[in-house]
Amino acid sequence: MNGTHRLAQVPPGVQCFVGGEARRRRRIEEAVTAVFEGWDYEEIIPPLYDYADVFAGEALAPKTYSFVGRDGSVLALRPDFTSLLAKIAAGRLRDRPAPIRLYYSGEVVRYEPPKAGRQSELHQMGLEHLGGLPPAADAEVAAVACECLETLGARGYVLALGHVGVFTGLLEGARLEAPTLERVRERLEAKDASGVREALAGAAVPAEAKEALARLSTLAGGRSVVEEATRALSFSPPARAALSELRAVVSALEGAGLAERLAVDLGEVRGLDYYTGLVFRVFAPGLGFEVGGGGRYDTLLARFGRPLPAVGFMLGLDRIALLLERQAASPEPAPVPAEAVGGPDLGPALAEARARRAAGRRVRFGAGEAK
Amino acid sequence: MSLLTVALSKGKLFAGTESLFRRAGLPFPDGGSRRLVAPAGDLRFLFVKDMDVPTYVEYGVADCGVAGRDVLLESGSDVFEPLDLGFGRCRLVVARPAGSPAALDGASTVRVATKYPRVAADHFLGRGLSVEVVRLAGSVEIAPGLGLADCILDVVETGRTLEENGLVPVETVAESSARLVVNRASFHARRSEISCLVETLERAVER
Repeated sequence: MNGTHRLAQVPPGVQCFVGGEARRRRRIEEAVTAVFEGWDYEEIIPPLYDYADVFAGEALAPKTYSFVGRDGSVLALRPDFTSLLAKIAAGRLRDRPAPIRLYYSGEVVRYEPPKAGRQSELHQMGLEHLGGLPPAADAEVAAVACECLETLGARGYVLALGHVGVFTGLLEGARLEAPTLERVRERLEAKDASGVREALAGAAVPAEAKEALARLSTLAGGRSVVEEATRALSFSPPARAALSELRAVVSALEGAGLAERLAVDLGEVRGLDYYTGLVFRVFAPGLGFEVGGGGRYDTLLARFGRPLPAVGFMLGLDRIALLLERQAASPEPAPVPAEAVGGPDLGPALAEARARRAAGRRVRFGAGEAK
Repeated sequence: MSLLTVALSKGKLFAGTESLFRRAGLPFPDGGSRRLVAPAGDLRFLFVKDMDVPTYVEYGVADCGVAGRDVLLESGSDVFEPLDLGFGRCRLVVARPAGSPAALDGASTVRVATKYPRVAADHFLGRGLSVEVVRLAGSVEIAPGLGLADCILDVVETGRTLEENGLVPVETVAESSARLVVNRASFHARRSEISCLVETLERAVER
């Protein structure tokens, strides 16, 4: 019984796209990858699975679909592209001088409870700038992200920029137990200042740093937040250094005419095991969650034996498609109607159809079909 | 641009929310209406179940809302909580029948009845106790007396309901109060409207 009902049932977390939906996705993908190409990024089509160790990051490992290969090795379906690209840059492309600019577009698979725009199967389009230093590479990557959204016709998009070095800098020298650190991070991420104070109560952190960490939750808004933070956190040299790096990226983007598109959010502290510098997320009115994001991850490539600084970002195709649909950005051009070609004799009918195809027309071949 | 949308529940936080909005001089729909979507001034209000407020806000259907910290803990929603509104104070506690041993480590598995299955599982598993969560929609207090569970995890304000049902609190899991929650995208994409609302409410809370 189970067997037959599975022939109809869809497993949770996967999707199927038909006709117009599929066309819309293709068009988004083409537009975005054309922007990547335009900034001289090279396409890379990495394998669908690799050894599970490649994806062993703290955040990804629990979301990875892994399986045992014939030789007993543990393999995993790719839960992201960045680790794969890092491995390839450090391996096959080891002799290529840095910086290396790579982009990808394809599906990843993750164990995710299906909610708020998350499926188990996600289509990601992204790029990695390997070997580039802040602020230039960071600003470039953020500018490419902006161009993608402009090309797609997304209205009112905002890049919310942060820098994890502000948070980690304030905690430098403090010995926080892992669960406490996670609670502080989680409450800060929720912009809950009193929750941050509560999580830090009794922790071996100087009072000044505690207050500054709680303050981070309110340091979100426009450009002036960088200056406000610089004044408030001047006692911490590493936090100050992170802020000046962030300021340089923000200034560069402003210089490029993107001031309207920028927000600063110092409470952006996700993926601390991964990100090491600039972090950003892309939001737009009409969608309650980000359409993409990225940041600097200077320690990942060392894991694969080629220590290179790196920065990248990714847009979720599924979310972009949803956003454009909600914003009703560009009216869908209707596909050219097909011309019916048929006739009693199959050979001449097929010849006619081929002739019209050669002229670039869309045909619906009807010869020999049951009436 | 569409009206800023606020998700509220008509449950136990309603009176506190209404009085806060009125004190802050913000628009609020007139009482007595049964409309679930009600515009008022330059805001649009949604009236939904308290457990659903974080969901509406997380998906961005509402730009912001008012939810208890207890509900936020249970929902695990990814929303901003920039403001403690100061009312609706209560505690999430574990309570057991009076007279049973205070320690919960006597049994191999703790059977807990609750409306907060996620909080309960995290709490007990997190401290190394196996747990069997009995999920109920209400009247949780009667579960231990009837043998459905060894203990309950529930919110208490005064503790009277617990007492009347022969239960005593043995552990506080979390303190709760009403929070302003904000959608993450709205926070940035509608920054000026949101920060204006947050500041207006903040001033009214401090008063």
